[in-house]
Amino acid sequence: MARAATVQEINKAPPLPLGEWMVRNRPVLIRHAVIWVFIAVILLPLVWVLLMSVKSLPDAMQGALWPARFDFTHYSYVFQKIDTLPVNLFNSIYVTTGTVLLTTACAVLAGFALVHLRPWGGAFIVAMLLASLYFPIRVVSLISVYEIQSFLGLINSTSGLILPYVTLNLAISILIMRSVFQLVPHELIEAAKIDGCGPWRTLWLIGIPMARNGLVVVFIVNFVTAWGEFLLCTTLTNDQTARTMPVVLAAAQGGLGQWAWPRLAAVYVIVVTPGILAFTFAQRLFFKGLAEGVLKG
Amino acid sequence: MMRAAQATALRQGISPWMFLLPALLFFVGYQVYPIVRVVWISFTDYQFLTNAPANWVGLDNYANALRDPLMWRSLWRACLFTLMFLPGTIILPLLLAILVDRVTAPRLATFYRVVLLIPAVIPSTLVFVLWKWMYNFQVGPINHVLVDVLGIFTVYNAPQWLGGTALTLPSIAIMEVWWGLGYHTIFFLAGLAAIPKDLPEAARLDGANEWQIFWNVTLPALQPIMMILIVLRFGSAMAVIDEYLIFGGFNRDSPTYTWTMFMYDQAFKLGTWRQGFAAAIGMIGAAAMMVVVAGLLYIFRRKG
Repeated sequence: MARAATVQEINKAPPLPLGEWMVRNRPVLIRHAVIWVFIAVILLPLVWVLLMSVKSLPDAMQGALWPARFDFTHYSYVFQKIDTLPVNLFNSIYVTTGTVLLTTACAVLAGFALVHLRPWGGAFIVAMLLASLYFPIRVVSLISVYEIQSFLGLINSTSGLILPYVTLNLAISILIMRSVFQLVPHELIEAAKIDGCGPWRTLWLIGIPMARNGLVVVFIVNFVTAWGEFLLCTTLTNDQTARTMPVVLAAAQGGLGQWAWPRLAAVYVIVVTPGILAFTFAQRLFFKGLAEGVLKG
Repeated sequence: MMRAAQATALRQGISPWMFLLPALLFFVGYQVYPIVRVVWISFTDYQFLTNAPANWVGLDNYANALRDPLMWRSLWRACLFTLMFLPGTIILPLLLAILVDRVTAPRLATFYRVVLLIPAVIPSTLVFVLWKWMYNFQVGPINHVLVDVLGIFTVYNAPQWLGGTALTLPSIAIMEVWWGLGYHTIFFLAGLAAIPKDLPEAARLDGANEWQIFWNVTLPALQPIMMILIVLRFGSAMAVIDEYLIFGGFNRDSPTYTWTMFMYDQAFKLGTWRQGFAAAIGMIGAAAMMVVVAGLLYIFRRKG
C-alpha cells in the first residue's frame, strides 16, 4: 500500500523543470551516456560499412560518413559482375549448414549420453573435453590436419572443410548440451525407461524439447564459427571457387572496378546480415540458453 | 525371456557408446590424433614436399628451434600482444557490466544486451575484414577523422596501422577488445545477477561507499568468472594466427610474426615445408602457454 501511494504521488506531482530533473537524475544520466558511448563504438563500424555500400563511387573515395549521392546499384552489380560470388556464397551456406547440423547432432547425442546414460569413463571424457579448451589445438594440429585431408584427397574440396570444422566447437558444444541436459531431472528419464521408452525415444520425446534454448546457443555458436572460419579454409584450399565468401573477401584489395569500395562493402553487408538477423530474432532463446548452458558451467 | 533380458542389458550397455560414437570419432580423429601425430612429427625430419621418408632425429628440432633467436622473439611478440589485449578485454566489460546491471527498465536492458552481443555474432573473418577497412590508409574512417576532421595528421604522415608496422599489434588488440566487449559484458552481467541484492544494500546501510562496495562485495563475487575469462583469453591471445595472416604477412621483422606465424611459415610456405621443425615450434609455443595456464590456474585456485 505504501509503495502504491508513493507511485501515485509521483504521478500527481507537477513535472519538474528540465534542468532540475537533470540535476536530480545526474547519476542515471551519466550512466546511460557512458553506455551509449560504448553502443556507438560498437555500432559505428557497422554503420560505416552499411553507408559505404550505398555510396556513389566518387563519394566512396571522399571519406565523409554521409554520402552526397546514394547509389543502390552495387548490390545487383556484385551478383552480376563478380563471377565467383554466387559460388563462394553457396560454399559458405553449404559448409556452414553441414557443420552446424553435424556438430549439433554430435553434441546433443554426446551431451545426453554423458548425463543420462552414464557410460563407463564418462568423467574421463568430460575431463578431456575440458582440457582441450585450454590447449591451442586449432593451431598446433594444423600440420596433421593437412596431412589427413591430403590423405583423404580432400585438399581443395569444399565438402572436406566440414570435417575439421565440426571439431572447432565440438568440445564446447558437448559441454553446453551436457549442462542443459543436467537440468532435466533424472527421475523423468528413469520414468520413461520404466514406461518402455528406449534411449532414442527418451531423447526425442523428453530431452530435445527441454533442451531447446541450449540448442539455439549451439546453433548460433557453430554458425558463427563455420561462417567466418579463415585458417583452415585458406590452408586447405587454394582455388577461389572452393573457398567460402568471407575468406575471399579477406583477400580482396579495395580498389577499382569489380572490387571498388562500395561493391566490397555491399558483399560484406550481404554476408554479415544473416547472422545478425538470426541472432536478433532468436535473442530471447539465446540468452536463456546461455544462462542454462554456458554461464552455469 | 532370459535371452530378451540379456539383450536389453546388452543394448543398455552399448547404447551410451552409440550416442557418444559420432562425437568421439570427430574428437579423436581431428583433435586427439592430430596432436599425437604432431608430437611424433616434431621428433622427425619430416618434410611434406619431398618423397624422402621421415627419419627419427630425437630432440634435434627442439634444440634447433630453441637456438634460433627468432623462436624467442616470436614468442615474446605473442606475449606482447597478450599484454596489450588482456587488460582491456577484462576491465572495460567489467565496467560496462556494472553500468548495464543497474539499468532497471526491462526493454532498455534487453536492448543494451542485444546491441552489445552483435559483435559476438559477427563471424571472425568478417570482424577482421571490417577492421581492415576501418584502419585503411585511404578510405578508412579512422584516418579520415585524424586527417580531414581533426587535422592532427596530414596525408603524408598519417599513421599506417596495419601491414606489420609498430602500430599493428595495438591495432589488432583494439579490434579484439571491440569484438569481445559485449560477450564478456554478458558474462559479467550473469555474475552480477547472481549477487543477492540485499548484500550491497546492507553494506550501504553500514555506511560503505560505492568504491568499498565494488572492492569488497562486487569484485570478490565476480572473481570466478574473471578467472575463467583471463585463462581462456590468455589462451586465445597467445595463439592468434588468423589476424596475423590477414594483417601482417610473412615478414620476419613484423611484430605480427609470432610463434604461430613462424610455425605456419615453416610448415606451409618455405622451401620443402619442413614440418618436423614446424611441429617442434608449435609444441614449444604450446608448452610455453601451458606453463602459464597451469600457473594461472594454480594461483586462482588458492584464492577462490
